[in-house]
Amino acid sequence: MLEQFILVFATLVGAPLAGGLLFGIDRKITARLQGRYGPPVIQPFYDFFKLLGKEHIAVSRLQFIWIYGYLVFMVVSLIFLVLKSDILLLVFLLGFAGVSLVLGGFSTKSPYAHFGANRELLQIMAYEPVLLLFAIGVYAQNGSFLISEIFKQDKPLLFSLWPLFLAVLYVLTIKMRKSPFDIATSHHGHQEIVKGVTTEYSGPYFALFHLAEWYEIVLLLGIISLFWANPLWVGILIALVAFLLELLVDNIAARMTARWMVRLSWSIGLLLGVINIAYIYLTKGVS
Amino acid sequence: MIDEMMAIAILLPVAAGLLILAIRNYYARNVVVVATSIALIVNSVLLSINGPFTYTPEGVNWGLFITILDYAILLFYLYIGFTLRNWLVVIFAFTQLVPLAYFEFIMKAHLELSPAFVVDHLSLVMTLIISIIGSLICIFALRYMYDHEHHAHLTKSRQSRFLFWLVLFLGAMNGLVFANNLFWLYFFWEVTTLCCYQLISHDRTQEAINNAARALWMNATGGTAFILAIIYLYVTQGGSSALSLQTLIGGGIQASVVLLPVALLCYTGFTKAAQMPFQSWLLGAMVAPTPVSALLHSSTMVKAGVYLVLRLAPAFAGTYLSIAIAIAGAFTFFATSALAISQTTGKRVLAYSTIANLGLIIACTGINTPLSVAAAILLIIFHAISKGLLFLCAGTIEHQIWSREIEDMEGLAAKAPLTTLITAVGILSMFLPPFGMLLGKWIALEAAYMVPLAAILFVLASTLTIVFWTKWLGRLLQVLPKLGWPLERLSLSYSAPLWTLLIGIFAVGIGVGPIYQNFLLDATNNVVSGNQIFAIGWNNLVLTSASFIQRDILGLFPIWPLYLILVVALLLPLLLIGLKPTELRPVYLCGEQVGGTDTDEWSAEADQKTKFLLGGYYFQSSLGEKKVNPWANTIAIVLLVIMIGCGVIVIC
Repeated sequence: MLEQFILVFATLVGAPLAGGLLFGIDRKITARLQGRYGPPVIQPFYDFFKLLGKEHIAVSRLQFIWIYGYLVFMVVSLIFLVLKSDILLLVFLLGFAGVSLVLGGFSTKSPYAHFGANRELLQIMAYEPVLLLFAIGVYAQNGSFLISEIFKQDKPLLFSLWPLFLAVLYVLTIKMRKSPFDIATSHHGHQEIVKGVTTEYSGPYFALFHLAEWYEIVLLLGIISLFWANPLWVGILIALVAFLLELLVDNIAARMTARWMVRLSWSIGLLLGVINIAYIYLTKGVS
Repeated sequence: MIDEMMAIAILLPVAAGLLILAIRNYYARNVVVVATSIALIVNSVLLSINGPFTYTPEGVNWGLFITILDYAILLFYLYIGFTLRNWLVVIFAFTQLVPLAYFEFIMKAHLELSPAFVVDHLSLVMTLIISIIGSLICIFALRYMYDHEHHAHLTKSRQSRFLFWLVLFLGAMNGLVFANNLFWLYFFWEVTTLCCYQLISHDRTQEAINNAARALWMNATGGTAFILAIIYLYVTQGGSSALSLQTLIGGGIQASVVLLPVALLCYTGFTKAAQMPFQSWLLGAMVAPTPVSALLHSSTMVKAGVYLVLRLAPAFAGTYLSIAIAIAGAFTFFATSALAISQTTGKRVLAYSTIANLGLIIACTGINTPLSVAAAILLIIFHAISKGLLFLCAGTIEHQIWSREIEDMEGLAAKAPLTTLITAVGILSMFLPPFGMLLGKWIALEAAYMVPLAAILFVLASTLTIVFWTKWLGRLLQVLPKLGWPLERLSLSYSAPLWTLLIGIFAVGIGVGPIYQNFLLDATNNVVSGNQIFAIGWNNLVLTSASFIQRDILGLFPIWPLYLILVVALLLPLLLIGLKPTELRPVYLCGEQVGGTDTDEWSAEADQKTKFLLGGYYFQSSLGEKKVNPWANTIAIVLLVIMIGCGVIVIC
């Protein structure tokens, strides 16, 4: 029990540090790819504290509820991962975080936030089925939805679930808000209508959004590393390579339309997952 | 004691209904309805404490009584069919009447059976839902119908008639879930169809009458299948003993004979549960006053359909019929969830969501493991509470803005904060953790790998579910930057059922572990034996594999911790974080707004003051009914044919 508390505490503190650093690296590498020098690696932390010190202003009280909902459910999803709990429930909790962000965008009569929220909703529609299929794929392979069971297997999931791995990589692009799928809000100023779903957040509340994003990136890379859980360092390495790959794709691709994203996800993404699960079902049966 | 309890459950609503019909005073009628509701609720709890038991009423020749009423109902259908010149109603009244008459007069069938009623745990779960949620809806209807007629400027009140059918419905449903004699079950089935017709057509508009007639003939096809199943069983088994539901599901009849009547009865269940391709009658039922929709969708009518399929599950366990039912249900779940996205009317979204969830419940029944059946029962309960609440919310909203359109509900949070809060909780409880509906869906998904196609359809459907709920809730919350929303006043007849159901969502949701272990597990075992769900520690629900030798853990759902997190994530910010007037800012409009903070006007072309309008996505070009229905109905019909084919093949 004590061990679990320490683990949770370490996650609560450590994850944003790692997440912020990853975003710093992102900005540095992106700058270099674009022929700029780029800000220092710890710039996201400077930004975060500066935002925290800004004036409290808002357009609606409802915004607070949803930005906290987004943050808290993101953290809870990450804790589920760290405690090696149920992967299917983790996906549903992540869904709650996503829905909170959408409702945050909707909860004021603002045209830009409204567009962003609609787009964020389409993003959920694009990635949610792939993640759920991934959870079912884990069950098909291991006979359990528990993440702890993944760690007990000698053979990495990547061997049996590589089509789903590709689909999850695709989802990573959507979740990291990277081109070509930075539809709801983008990290690049030149391809953004104002600031998408986050338009109406400012100051400390916007800092909370960044904090949630930091937890999110750690969570996503953690999910990727599950594909090679034994030994875990290989999985983490794979996740970091995937992260760098996303940065590369981000800088060579342009933003696509939301409809295109949903179609691609519901055709190729789902097909990969379905074929993967069907193959395991036919070869292994119900375990 | 049992005599009285059964009489109260089935006959009290009839007596109370007749009394209501006689009373013309608004307040006296309210007293009768509230007293009946309380009696039904207390009685259902007493039944659950004393149950399970079997019962055969003595004294009066009830069999004869029921037979006479059967003919009366069917002749009434004929009358409706001829007066409306609706030949489908006529045809399907005849298809019931002719076999029934042949069966009774030519074959001289003997239809007495003991016990006539078998009240097991599954029946008790159903009667609790019917009595408690149904009664709350009746109470809501008191004030609603008053306002409804006031708004429609009716000269002659028809509230008595409305309440008569509403209360009678509860009695018929109680009889339906208790009946063991299939012939009696058929009678109660027809009474619910009749009540449904009368309630949908209540407003007497042309649309209401047409839609009621559609509901009637579609359900009459189900009734026809029911009669054929009864005759088939009677003929092949030679006697009334074959008409016992318990014998039918207890393995008392050989598998090669039993599957066809079971497939026919499942078809009947599908019609009543408005599964594709029968969804149109339930959508048409939306023209009725909202308490009708609330009653049809949460505790009665459609739940009778899923109850019948669930009840029959042991009879088709391990057959291809089971898999066919799972896939047909899962397909309805998927297709209607997609259709719900394209709907612009709140009540139609609710209707599609009901059909979708019934599909999920039926699919769980088809998967037919202890885990999936437990999921089905949990979903029936939580769906009844949440959907009952949402329909009552829809009714309350309708009487505040006098519209059912989602687009008209924009910014409701500022106009009616209390209603919006309750609606928001209702909507969240339909699709997000830790609420009961999601718990059920989660268990269903963890059980679904037995039928992988169903699992994949579940995944797609639950994604679509997120989309249509979120975008509706989003429209309610879209308010202008303004502080100080005055709370609206709700009549007690509105607010009491709303708050009770809201508390119910949390009470049942938080206590689901003990409730399952002490009560629902027995209900699950009435359908399939075994247990795969255990509650440990802080109400952590642990799912295990079915094997008794080595129980592998499949999944884990910490209930209390997640409710605590919900409080931290949403409730605390709502209560604790305030916004001062000086902190309020206008929304971003590139600096082009006109006026102060709470404005939705901006300087458009040539500096003209223009109001900006926002709207939701509905994807009518790709997910509209016109686009989806042709192929979805075709697939659904094919699945239905396969389902009945599974019953036929066994005989050949």
